Amino acid sequence: MAHGLLVKNASGDILIDSDFSHYHFLGKHTHASVTQVPDITGGSTANTGGIGGNSPDQNKGMQNMPAKGEIYIYSIPVNGTNPPLCFIKPTSTGSSAPFAGIVVTKQNGSNWEIRVFQSAVTSDSPVLYCFAPLSQISNSTSSTHGLKTFNSSGVATFDSRFKPLRAPVAGSITAPTLAHTGSVGSSWNVSLGVNASNVSTSFTNQSNANDLIYYCPSIAHACQKYEYEQSDSGFYSFRRFSWHRSDIWWCFYRSSFRIASTSSLEANYGVYARGHFYRHEAAQSSVFGSLLGFLFGGAIFGTIFALISASSFTNVSVDAGDYLPYSNSFRNRSANSFIISKASFYD
Amino acid sequence: MSYGMEIFDADGDEIFSTTDSTWTLLGVYVTNANTSTNHTGVPVMPTRLVTRTMIDQISGDDEAYVHTFSLSGSTLTTTAPSGSDTIKTVFTVFGK
Repeated sequence: MAHGLLVKNASGDILIDSDFSHYHFLGKHTHASVTQVPDITGGSTANTGGIGGNSPDQNKGMQNMPAKGEIYIYSIPVNGTNPPLCFIKPTSTGSSAPFAGIVVTKQNGSNWEIRVFQSAVTSDSPVLYCFAPLSQISNSTSSTHGLKTFNSSGVATFDSRFKPLRAPVAGSITAPTLAHTGSVGSSWNVSLGVNASNVSTSFTNQSNANDLIYYCPSIAHACQKYEYEQSDSGFYSFRRFSWHRSDIWWCFYRSSFRIASTSSLEANYGVYARGHFYRHEAAQSSVFGSLLGFLFGGAIFGTIFALISASSFTNVSVDAGDYLPYSNSFRNRSANSFIISKASFYD
Repeated sequence: MSYGMEIFDADGDEIFSTTDSTWTLLGVYVTNANTSTNHTGVPVMPTRLVTRTMIDQISGDDEAYVHTFSLSGSTLTTTAPSGSDTIKTVFTVFGK
């Protein structure tokens, strides 16, 4: 640099460079509302009353499905077109803490809507500590103390009066592949709960885990399903019967994170959305009557679910028979950078 | 501290010091949905960090790919994995 201010620490890291912008504290924000994705369910039952052959009626709802997490919605006022940098102050830390991550960042007028997904419902709520460059901060101060730098165009790039971002830790972390490994169910019992091992990343030890805040948007997601069908036909009480039931259960998972200790960040998934569709039909006739067939075959979901209303999964491009984004796979499972700071710097 | 710099506010509370670590903002680069873009002119610092944020996903409950990227020299190469399901992505490049 030909002029200006360049400050380095003992490790040679650049702390302040007046040529470049620095993030400053925009504010601490609590959520405006909290929500969950509604269960997406549908099903039809026809002529199964009194049918022979033990036609199954169990679990036509959401029994055995894993609990969903919560979505906290924040509205962050900030100037300009770039989103604020929002750090999560989690509700708790440690090996039993829920995982949390920013899942939606959307501009809404002059505010940014930030949605934080937390893998479990808690009485407390995550708090956001938000940062932006000085050009996007409209806060004012009457303080005349501190250090302020300008670039060659005369634009302020650092101003200690607005609490510059201090980041003791940064690194990268990758979500597990699938949220659930192993069997996804048996008969009418579903097993889609998150059981993937946590992915842990170590960082330089800090003094107090409960003071740490982290910036690490959720980008990875996974979707897994369990399908089951049964049918039977035969003779019962001088009547011929036939029944067929087919089901699909699914969960959509979002990656999220937690401060596991004073020196580790962990990643895993939480259940963001879930659904269940089924069709159960039967017929019976006298032993001499003709039997109506219910041979659904391999294309059952393409055929059956086209008859079921698309429910409220409003943001999916629903192909014929597809009532989940995708199945038994994952997306965006590449390393994501994170930054860790301390709430006490800004409280 | 025995050497370095400390900055205090008017109340005498430390706001920043050279014992801290932080990240300077080198640039914010936006790649639109379903497109691949090379962003040039990215400033170079000894250590850089790139974060990705998916933008304008309405509810976040659908299949959404985030752009992949590579940063080499002054070029940030961003690639859409899907031509139809890749979300608008903001890349924030930090340096120190």
